[in-house]
Amino acid sequence: MSAPTAPPTLVPKLEDGTGEELEHAATRADSRRGALLALPGFAYLFLFFALPLGIVFVYSFATRSSTGRTILGQWSVDSYTRLIDPFVLQIAWRSFALAAAATALCLLVGYPFAYYIATRSPRVRGLLLVMVMIPFWSNFLVRTYAWRVILGSDGPVSRLTELVGIGQTRLMFTSTAVMIGLVYGYLPFMILPLYASIERLDFSLVEAGRDLYASGWEAFRRITWPLSRAGVIAGSILVFIPSFGAYVTPEILGGSRTTMLGSFIVRQFLAARDWPFGSSLSFVVMIAMLVAALVYFRVGGKTL
Amino acid sequence: MNAPDVATTSAPPRQGQAGSSPAVELVGVTKRFDDVIAVDNVNLRINDGEFFSLLGPSGCGKTTTLRMIAGLEFPTHGSIRIHDEQMSLRPPNKRPVNTVFQSYALFPHMSVRDNIAFGLQMKKVDRHTIGSRVTEAVQLVRLGGMEHRRPKQLSGGQQQRVALARALVNHPQVLLLDEPLGALDLKLRKAMQLELKELQERVGITFVYVTHDQEEALTMSDRIGVMDDGRLLQVGTPEEIYERPATRMVADFIGETNFLPIVVTELDRARIEGGQEIIIGGDGTPGTKTTLTIRPEKMRITAPREPVPEGDNQLLGTLHRRVYLGNALALEVTAGAVRLRVRQGSAAQVHRFRDGDEVAVLWSPADAAVLED
Amino acid sequence: MSLREGAQPGGTTRWALSANAWLVFGFFYLPIVLLVALSFNDNRMVGVWGGASLRWYREMLGNASVIASLQNSLVVAGISTVLSTVLGTATAIALERFRFRGRAAFDGLVYLPVIIPDVTMAVMMLLFFARAFAMVYEATGTTLHLGITTITLSHIAFNISFVAIVVRARLAGLDPALEEAAADLYADRRKTFRHVTLPLIMPGILGGALLALTLSLDDVVITSFVAGPGSTTLPVYVFGLVRRGVTPLINAVSTVMLAASMLLVLFSLLVQRRSQ
Repeated sequence: MSAPTAPPTLVPKLEDGTGEELEHAATRADSRRGALLALPGFAYLFLFFALPLGIVFVYSFATRSSTGRTILGQWSVDSYTRLIDPFVLQIAWRSFALAAAATALCLLVGYPFAYYIATRSPRVRGLLLVMVMIPFWSNFLVRTYAWRVILGSDGPVSRLTELVGIGQTRLMFTSTAVMIGLVYGYLPFMILPLYASIERLDFSLVEAGRDLYASGWEAFRRITWPLSRAGVIAGSILVFIPSFGAYVTPEILGGSRTTMLGSFIVRQFLAARDWPFGSSLSFVVMIAMLVAALVYFRVGGKTL
Repeated sequence: MNAPDVATTSAPPRQGQAGSSPAVELVGVTKRFDDVIAVDNVNLRINDGEFFSLLGPSGCGKTTTLRMIAGLEFPTHGSIRIHDEQMSLRPPNKRPVNTVFQSYALFPHMSVRDNIAFGLQMKKVDRHTIGSRVTEAVQLVRLGGMEHRRPKQLSGGQQQRVALARALVNHPQVLLLDEPLGALDLKLRKAMQLELKELQERVGITFVYVTHDQEEALTMSDRIGVMDDGRLLQVGTPEEIYERPATRMVADFIGETNFLPIVVTELDRARIEGGQEIIIGGDGTPGTKTTLTIRPEKMRITAPREPVPEGDNQLLGTLHRRVYLGNALALEVTAGAVRLRVRQGSAAQVHRFRDGDEVAVLWSPADAAVLED
Repeated sequence: MSLREGAQPGGTTRWALSANAWLVFGFFYLPIVLLVALSFNDNRMVGVWGGASLRWYREMLGNASVIASLQNSLVVAGISTVLSTVLGTATAIALERFRFRGRAAFDGLVYLPVIIPDVTMAVMMLLFFARAFAMVYEATGTTLHLGITTITLSHIAFNISFVAIVVRARLAGLDPALEEAAADLYADRRKTFRHVTLPLIMPGILGGALLALTLSLDDVVITSFVAGPGSTTLPVYVFGLVRRGVTPLINAVSTVMLAASMLLVLFSLLVQRRSQ
């Protein structure tokens, strides 16, 4: 009455080849289609991205004539040994310190902010999110410029301190100004991934924590914070990377004593005409960023 | 007990046209994903006009089998025919079957009407015919007035009906349903079960229904195929599957049951391991060790000295535990090395027994099944 | 979700949270509001209010450099947005829906332009064009110059990746059963793409295009490296002015640029709402 495994009389026979063969043929055809579709984008990125990257690498081993011309053919590692020049290291350290401080500040302000938004009712949340998106999408240069207006010697901050009687404040061209600019510019990059991970959080877990005798702070430290760590990592990387290589912000708000790596690299091309050194610098900066980004992809996943 | 052939297993309850070809025929179908064998050498004939269920735990290969019939996967080996036409490697858009997806897969950017009309539009059916057939399908699933809504504006049950209409409107030779009621709540699911069965009888289309819910399969199907670990274990009517399960897995998966380890001594006799001799169905091979399965509700509990009806088996044991179930009483009896679960419909009959009492468990050999493994 | 009682922070914390939120919003918006207000200041001294006027807007419209660089910006942004949207979308589909040789390498290459610092990318493009132009000169004797074309080519190079990532996320979020359902309902590959896949990923494509447009209109560093004389874009021109100091003219131009950004945000919100 029952019908278990295959009766041996029935030998499977396909009129048109075996499934395996045809499946392979279909896979091959699919693979051709995919490659064809990827080709234009790939060709473009190869020609206008991968190749230029290779050229930078090659130029970093070139030498520079006394007139500033780059000589290809006389290869050397001079531009790499010059990276450990104290002057360069000082700029690198300053970039790192400013970027790290800006990242920390963004996290400190951004986390409670993102938490606040993520725990509003859906209607309010949508509205607040739009209010974060507007500065996020607004022109970066203009937003940085606004701070130059504010911090300038006849700007409102200075006027206020003058009125109070402390005298003019001289914030412009200081590292404080650069830091404010970096935080202002990149805070949305911190808030959005943080928001995404906090909003996704199942708050009944927090309730379970409270039920198991955790205080509010302990519940945060042991439950909320670890569960939102992906957002913390993503946000930190997204703030740190552009801050470390920043050019526009220190150029507008900083001065000669706040030079960061980005400006220093640009100077090698537009002023000093030392292309090999500029190349090695930008190559090393890029590698540093890649390492940071890889950590992000490993730990935080590909959000945003 | 051993079935002669899959093909002739139990006559279909309803036959489309006399002598018509099987709606779906799978011969030696195997599907391998890299190293995993999802479907392992499945042979199956589904009759025309039949409500056929593929039943099994998740990951047993039932959905993959369905997807191969739909053309969403191609078999690694073997052949699939629909009404004698070779289908194995034909793309889904060229097959005379339609699918109701587990997630419904309703196009969110189209209205209900556009969703239902999609297949006919793709087949380039003329506008006038599309109009009337869509209207007809909307009526069939009782969605009148909802035509211009988007899927998101419908309840789960309504979405399910749209998915059904979208498939049925094409008049497929076979309708494939992949756990279509899985997303609905219990009450709605029960109502939809009846409705689906009724609908199938009305339209007369062969339904192939994938589910992991044994009760659902038992209520709706003309025949059921039980799968586990990529293999088709048994095909039969709900009664056959329930009353005479072929393997331990089938017996265990469908309903509650008792397993008794036995050694066959004669054609119709066996000895419970370490216990007494009993009468079995009658086609055992002497000397083989096997398992006897019997459903709890097929057994009766009496006092030890009460007369045993001619031909019945009797095991003596101790009543161990009683659980009141409202409409029935569940009892556990220890008889030697085996523990039996017994279910009695009428509580009054066994009311007199207390825990620890000596009792007799009786059953008719016809109600027990000797497993093949 | 809004929090139920059990998960809510205590009174002081709650107060600190909302205080922080409003301070952040103030931090976000006060500079912008101030800048916009000052752009209507009649006084040449930015810090001294001299009454409201549209004087600087008139001056802006009469400034040939502003108008010329604005035109350049629009041309570059328009062309690079369209081309990078097409290339990025094709890339996203290829990477998300197909398996082919070299896919893993391409996958990595697509993420690089997003991660790489602006300055490095700027250096790359400059050296590349310098090298390419030198080779063209050696081969044909023609002298090529940096200009609108090199700017556009560079913008496409970084925009492809952003579009690809946004579209890919949308594709990845698409229930594969939808495309299977289309195939089950007799649609071939092409029809499935046209009637099901494309309409469903359209919000992603539009979002990607909007991002590309914004990035193109925002870029200063890369553009300033590959721009030739007389071919600067508006941000590069403004950047040059800003470095020399604060002027009412910059305030007016900035306000216009902000307004343009906000219009884009508004547009993207409308697109989002329609797709829901």
